[in-house]
Amino acid sequence: MDLNFTADELAFRAEVRQWVAENLPKDLSHKVFNALRLSRDDLQRWAKILGKKGWLGYGWPQQFGGPGWTAVQKHLFEEECALAGAPRIIPFGPVMVAPVIMAFGNAEQQQRFLPGIASGEVWWSQGYSEPGAGSDLASVKTRAERQGDSYVVNGQKTWTTLGQFGEWIFCLVRTSNEGKPQTGISFLLVDMKSPGITVRPIITLDGEHEVNEVFFDNVVVPANNLIGEENKGWTYAKHLLAHERTNIADVNRAKRELERVKRLAKQEGIYDEPRFRDQIALLEVDIVALEMLVLRVLSAEKSGKQSLDIAGLLKIRGSEIQQRYAELMMLAAGPLAQPFVHEAMEAGWQGDFADAAVVAPLAGTFFNMRKTTIYGGSNEVQRNIVAQTVLG
Amino acid sequence: MDFDFSDDQVSLRDAVAKWVEKGFDFPRRHALAKAGGFSRAVYGELADLGLTGLVVPEADGGLGFGPVEAMLVMEELGRGLVNAPYAAAALVAPTLLAAGPADIQAAWLPRIATGEALVVPALNERSGRYRLQHVSTTAKPQAELWTLSGQKSVVPAADEADEFIVTARLSGAADDTTGIGLFLVNKAAAGVSVKAYPTQDGGRAGELILAGATATLITADGWPALERAVDVGIAASCAEGVGLMDKMVAITVEYMNTRKQFGTTLASFQALRHRMADVKMQQELGRSMSYYASLKLGEPAEQRRRALSQAKVQLGQSMRFVGQQCTQLHGGIGVTDEYISSHYFKRLTMLEMAYGDTLHHLGEVSARMQDTAGVFA
Repeated sequence: MDLNFTADELAFRAEVRQWVAENLPKDLSHKVFNALRLSRDDLQRWAKILGKKGWLGYGWPQQFGGPGWTAVQKHLFEEECALAGAPRIIPFGPVMVAPVIMAFGNAEQQQRFLPGIASGEVWWSQGYSEPGAGSDLASVKTRAERQGDSYVVNGQKTWTTLGQFGEWIFCLVRTSNEGKPQTGISFLLVDMKSPGITVRPIITLDGEHEVNEVFFDNVVVPANNLIGEENKGWTYAKHLLAHERTNIADVNRAKRELERVKRLAKQEGIYDEPRFRDQIALLEVDIVALEMLVLRVLSAEKSGKQSLDIAGLLKIRGSEIQQRYAELMMLAAGPLAQPFVHEAMEAGWQGDFADAAVVAPLAGTFFNMRKTTIYGGSNEVQRNIVAQTVLG
Repeated sequence: MDFDFSDDQVSLRDAVAKWVEKGFDFPRRHALAKAGGFSRAVYGELADLGLTGLVVPEADGGLGFGPVEAMLVMEELGRGLVNAPYAAAALVAPTLLAAGPADIQAAWLPRIATGEALVVPALNERSGRYRLQHVSTTAKPQAELWTLSGQKSVVPAADEADEFIVTARLSGAADDTTGIGLFLVNKAAAGVSVKAYPTQDGGRAGELILAGATATLITADGWPALERAVDVGIAASCAEGVGLMDKMVAITVEYMNTRKQFGTTLASFQALRHRMADVKMQQELGRSMSYYASLKLGEPAEQRRRALSQAKVQLGQSMRFVGQQCTQLHGGIGVTDEYISSHYFKRLTMLEMAYGDTLHHLGEVSARMQDTAGVFA
């Protein structure tokens, strides 16, 4: 047993830290440190910088042009990026669809799609949820009918994060109604410029346009955009879920945001007020405990000696902590959490009341974070999964 | 970073587990609790396993093991609900003695290692609650020895111990961290009396009254050793809590898969399944922070102190949640004396008060917060 990273791992961390310090644009980290609105250009600018270095696909094996890092190295990379205030990597391309293409796509698909994902040139979106298929994802109804060399897709996806920027979308589509709902699903890659696709914004309670509805009206998709076999899509989607384990806890970001909670509390003059300070202390304990849980999973992956099937716990705890720090920041703002100013999320906005730029964005972030216990399999669904491992 | 155990560590853990399984079943434990909460025979069996010398240096007849081995032993003693003052006498007391001169160590450590001497810390005073710097017991020099006057509260196995390690004030005000001496006091010495009682969790403790009791000085600068020894105690409590929680959850899972109501097992009700998922969460967060506690014992004092308080806050919450919810999940049987789970619940509850409760340590974490935080901060 040893809590410390190895000398090699520490050297790796130092290398990443230095590179990030030298390459992360300051205007981006300013926005991230203050939870301000990031444009498409902001997000893609960082993605392309990473892509050029070969680190956008930081979880990829060398065989596909990735760095071939260990689980610990990936964790350290995520940590260094988070603490330096880098925008999060939009996961749909490099983290979500790419591993599926690597594992189940054919050589032609790998050559066609992976380079654009690795470089950050092509923006991918995720087409999973539907109006009738949220946590119960297997009940997707969007149909793909085979007609010659093509599929014709009809239906609707929803909650498509940043779909307004999407150039390609990976979809779970229904190709059969036989048997269990899970068995008739296929995994299809769709060019979002195809005729018949309409993207409509959903404005969330914070006033932001982050998610969308995507409608498919007789969209023709070449059959060679099907990943793997028809009706095996559920298996591939599950592989994708299994692929991301520790990342889901987002503990590195939580550490950065805890620092921000403390800064805000100091600025608002309540850091030394015991009732508020103790709440921060409790959050600090929660974050250290989550980090230890994450490190245990990494250690188990590294040694292969003990299996730790606790992805559900990481999701539940990570999302609860995200909501809690956002809540404490909002509470730190006090009565001035109340103004609802759309421009407050823009870098450089100063407002016309005291400390407006600091306090006005905080409630928005709090409301935005309510999604975290709902998406990616709601926390109640996660509890079902955890209970299954405990009670059978 | 590596959370696997070595083969030797696994062997040690298995040896303790085997003793619990063969030699310390629930009827024995239950009878022992009813008979007053302490048995020198049980302590002797732990000594036969070498456990009383676990952290005593090899030169003094011990095994010379460290925090990880201590953690594994405590987990197993927790799992087995072993009501012996093991952590206090075999882990905390040697840590306090390590602050003393060589002749005192040579006189006591070998006898602690063999189990021949039961030496227990007597650190708490009634009005100090968990603040160990609150020492109003006084020490006055007398020839080459000292005389102590004051009262120490909830001393483990007070009427069965042979020797006490006592904090007493040499100088300063009641809450100063300077001027605190550590002393050895023999139970048979003049001016020593004990009022003992069984404890809620099936153990034994007592009030130690010192009225001009003769004492030997271990060190006149007791605070650093005291803080360190309490951190050892916290880590031991955390590990014991993990063992207790593991077993109580296992008992509850078995019960939920057996007991039927409304024609089906308890394990099939979603409200109860979700409760169990929350229990599992607290159990794993607790285990994570128990590892953290033991692995941080070697850090410099400031980092160590903060980390151990963080761990005790987590374990305090975890033990309370798991104990209370597993009792609730059992229904009526969970609150009977005859059924095993209530005894796990009582130990988990009392353990929160060992070496500082959740609110006490939350105050410590709060006071010690830095701008950055995390496992490696």
